[in-house]
This record gives sequence, C-alpha cells and structure tokens, in this order.
Amino acid sequence: MTLLVALLASTLFISNAMKSEYNTIINSYPDIVITNQKALRDTTINEDEVYKVLSIKGVSSAVARVWGHYYFLNGDEKFLILGRDEFETYSNPLLNASSNIAKDSMLVSKEVKKSLQKSYYTEYFNFIKADGSIKRLTIQKTLERSNFLENSALIIMNNDSAKEIFEYDDHEVTDLSVSVANKIEVAFIAAKLKILFPSARVSVKDDLRVMYENIYNLRSGFFLTIFIITFFTFFIIIYDKVSGLNSEQRREIGILKALGWRVGDVLNTRFYEGAMISLVSYILGIVLAFIYVYYFNAPYLKGIFLNNYDLLKDFRIVFNIDFETLALLFFLSVPIYIAATVIPSWRVATLEADEVMR
Amino acid sequence: MFYYKIFKLFFLSSLLSVSLFSYPQISQDIKDKKIYPMGEKIYKAKCNNIDVTGFKTYEALSLAIKDSLCGTLSKKYEESLSLYIWDVKLGDSEVHEKLLVSKKDKCQVCGMYMHHYPTWVSRIKYPNGEAYNFDGMKCMFKFYFNNKKGITDILVQDYYTLHTLNAREAYFVIGSDVYGPMGHELIPFVDKKSATTFSLEHKGDKVYTFDEITENMVRSLGR
Repeated sequence: MTLLVALLASTLFISNAMKSEYNTIINSYPDIVITNQKALRDTTINEDEVYKVLSIKGVSSAVARVWGHYYFLNGDEKFLILGRDEFETYSNPLLNASSNIAKDSMLVSKEVKKSLQKSYYTEYFNFIKADGSIKRLTIQKTLERSNFLENSALIIMNNDSAKEIFEYDDHEVTDLSVSVANKIEVAFIAAKLKILFPSARVSVKDDLRVMYENIYNLRSGFFLTIFIITFFTFFIIIYDKVSGLNSEQRREIGILKALGWRVGDVLNTRFYEGAMISLVSYILGIVLAFIYVYYFNAPYLKGIFLNNYDLLKDFRIVFNIDFETLALLFFLSVPIYIAATVIPSWRVATLEADEVMR
Repeated sequence: MFYYKIFKLFFLSSLLSVSLFSYPQISQDIKDKKIYPMGEKIYKAKCNNIDVTGFKTYEALSLAIKDSLCGTLSKKYEESLSLYIWDVKLGDSEVHEKLLVSKKDKCQVCGMYMHHYPTWVSRIKYPNGEAYNFDGMKCMFKFYFNNKKGITDILVQDYYTLHTLNAREAYFVIGSDVYGPMGHELIPFVDKKSATTFSLEHKGDKVYTFDEITENMVRSLGR
C-alpha cells in the first residue's frame, strides 16, 4: 500500500517538475518563427526579409537567426550550433550573454567539451565542410549548464563562423524569429505572416506549448501508462480484500458478535482500522516519494520520462509541491481502502453469529 | 546642346552635394525595432567613458564614429550607433513610466483586480502625486468625464507596442473585435497610422483623437 502510493507520488512529482521546467524553457522561445520551405522541406531564407516583418504593426522585434546541427563523426553525435550577432537581442537568454566571442572562436557546453576531449581535441576543433576543407574554431570558454530538457550538446559562435561551416551565402540565414509585444495580436500577426511568406512554415509558440503539455498531461502519454499500472495493482489488492475475508477474520467477527458487539461497533472498529492503515501508508508513501524524488533525484524512474539517461543523471528536479497532486493521491488511496475494508466486514457482520463461527 | 550642358552641370552638382554621411532614410519602424536596440547595446558595450554630446550635426557624429570614436566597428554597427546616439541619446523624447500594478490594485471604477490584465492598465495622475489605475480605457474615461478637474497626466498603453502614452495625444479606435477585460473598449494608439491599420484589420468603427471622445460614446460601449 505504502509502496504503491510512493510510486504514484513519485511519477506525479517528476512529471510536475518537468512540466514547470518545460514552461521555463519555452518562455525563452520566440513568439513566432518563420522557416522558409521548398517542396515543404525546410530551407534557408534571405536575411533582408526581416525588414518586411519589421514593418508589421505589433511586431516588436524580428531577428534573422543562423543555427543548425553538425554531425561529429568520431563521437557519433550531433552538435547544436547557435550562431549569434554580438549586438542583436535574441529571445534565448544564452545568446544574449555579454561575453564577446573572438573571431574564429566558440563557446561550448560541457558535453561537447567532453566529447571533443575523447577525440583528443582540447583547445580547438576542426569542422569539416562539404568539400572536405576545414574550418578551425578555438574553444574560448566552456558553458555552465542552465537547463536540462534542451539539447545539451551546444556550441555558440559568431554568425559568420556559423555561416562558413554551414556553407551559407552572405545573406542566407536559417530562419526569422519574431517577437510580438501584445500577445493578443500573435495569432493575427501569424496569419499576416503566412500571407506575406506563402512558401514558409510559420510556427507559433503557443502551439508548441499545447503540444508538450499534452505529453505531460494526466490524461495521455507516458504518464497514463504508469498511472494505469499502479491503479490496476491497487485494485487487485482491493478486490482481494473485497472478495471475502478469510476464515480467521470471519471467526473473529463471529466471536465479537457472540460477545454482544453490535453490527455498528464492528463496522466502527473496522473503519478505524482501515482508516489508520491507509492514512499511515499514505503519509509514508508521500514521504518516501519525496525523499526518492527530491533527495535522490529519482534514479531509475526518471529514465521513463527523459531520453538521454546518461547525460541527465544529475538532473535536479525542481521542488514543486502541488496541493492538487497531494489531494488526488489522498482521494485515490484512502477512501477506497477504507471502503474495501469496511464493506466486506459489514457483509459478514450482518450474518448470524453462529453461522459465522461455523 | 547648350541646355544639355546646363542640365549635366546641375545633375552632377546635386550629386556631389549629397554628403556621404548624411542622415539615412530609414523607416521609423525599422529604426525603433532594430536600429535603436542594436545601437543601445553597442553604446553600452563600447562607448562607456566617451563623451558624445559635443556634436552639432549628424554628419560630424557619424564621421567621428567612423574614425573609431568608440573603437573599430563594422559598417552596419557604425550606422546603428550613430543613429541611436543622434536620435535617442541626444534627441528629446518623453518617456513615461511603465504602468505596473501590484496584486492588490483594483480598478477605481469597476473594482476588478488589474494584475490579470497588465496590458490594459491606464492611469490618471494628480499634481500631489496621487494616481488612480483603471482596468481599460472605458473605465478611465468614465472616471475622467466625472472628475475633469486638476488632472496632470492621463497615461495609457499603446496597443501594438505596449509603450506608455500620453492619452491626450493618442488615437482611439472604438467598436473593434478586440475586447478588453470589461468588454467593448476604446483601444489607444501612438499615431494615426497604427490606429487606422488596426481599425481596418479588426473591424473598428472609427478613429478618434482624445478630444473627439464624448461621454455618450463611452456610454454606448456598455458597462
């Protein structure tokens, strides 16, 4: 009983933490992103299109972004490369950090540094371009990790270095990020942009948020699976109790009745017994889940929710107590257990005493 | 032949008289949204202890910046910086306070808690420092028509940029499909162009200046 509550509580705590973490991350996304497409496949866009976007009333800023992935053959992994202009303002706070990136230098995350070190690159790295030629960038600094759900193999560099590695033309950029001051206008402006850029994909931040909320929602996804399993186990236990008490307990009730106990008294005792057991196991279960999730950081259960298990071993789960969650767990476990103990006793107790003892 | 020579003379002379560093023609939107923020960042990063107040013309400032007044910069940055310094730093533009409300603030007229609708807050200020906050422009106007005396400032937020405006210089659109927290609203804009654009896109009735708004108009918007 305790373990069940603990399991359920842990999953609820973890998923809550991830939801709030995800919300924080999604706030650093731009309101609208315009990605050009050819034959419905993502392609680059001319950076001068930014001026078209800026002339729309309601748009507070628009930035031409250069970013993409680089496949590192030796380590068999993808690096996420974010290019930036030193004096532009981006929606991602990582790119707005004041440190100046010297020419032909880059900032790397810890994962990238480790990965490069494994291949004996300690101070620089040679990016290989399509024609086989090399672009060398020096590692200026290693970044501290700020959040966990994002891709952790991150490299930040100047826009022109990124353009060289991706072999973009001078005016080519990956996409346009658009910020809208008044959120009421976002949908309207997105519609305008779809008309202005007919061959582009216009993604709106709120749609992303809804999509990810659905994953962590109580009613769908991973969470539902865990929920159903624990629930199922729970009900098996209950069923076991309801489908009749064993002979010893029946005899116990019979004796009590013979001693003169009324039906009401028996039920009372059973009620208190059930209540105490379920309350204690509820509290114990919550406390256990607490310690497991927040103190030990949920060693194995986390793996169900997160993909890259090795990298995220030290994911620090945000302390997130939700009254709703606790209430949910309470109403799931306690009343049901009490009902499960009281009802069969009631059934038994209403029989004649002598019938029972037989 | 003679007239052709005169024409060539005028043409060439006009070409030469255009200074290379004259004030560039860029739309105000682009200046506000891209050039000034970029210029501000460059200024903060590079012109820390440098005195930029001594320049009488834009050309002189621009020339000085190209001569590495604030260090070496690429051409794009130089232009942003010059424009920022000339227009914003040395220009005079009245910037009003951001209309912030706490969780406890209620609208003076309708009593609603305003922190749920921060983009709709408007404010009336008095000389003694007293200020009343309102949950939208309708409530503000209702208060204003009953208490016109002694008001110093009336502040509203521009719908598109959320900058704080002097309501008496703003333009309002009535009858649009954008509802405020109290229903039908008068939506404020910094200039006539924004107001007209909004009115056309959101099926507004008409664009009014502050003085054109009457009590009847406000009453017709409902509670």
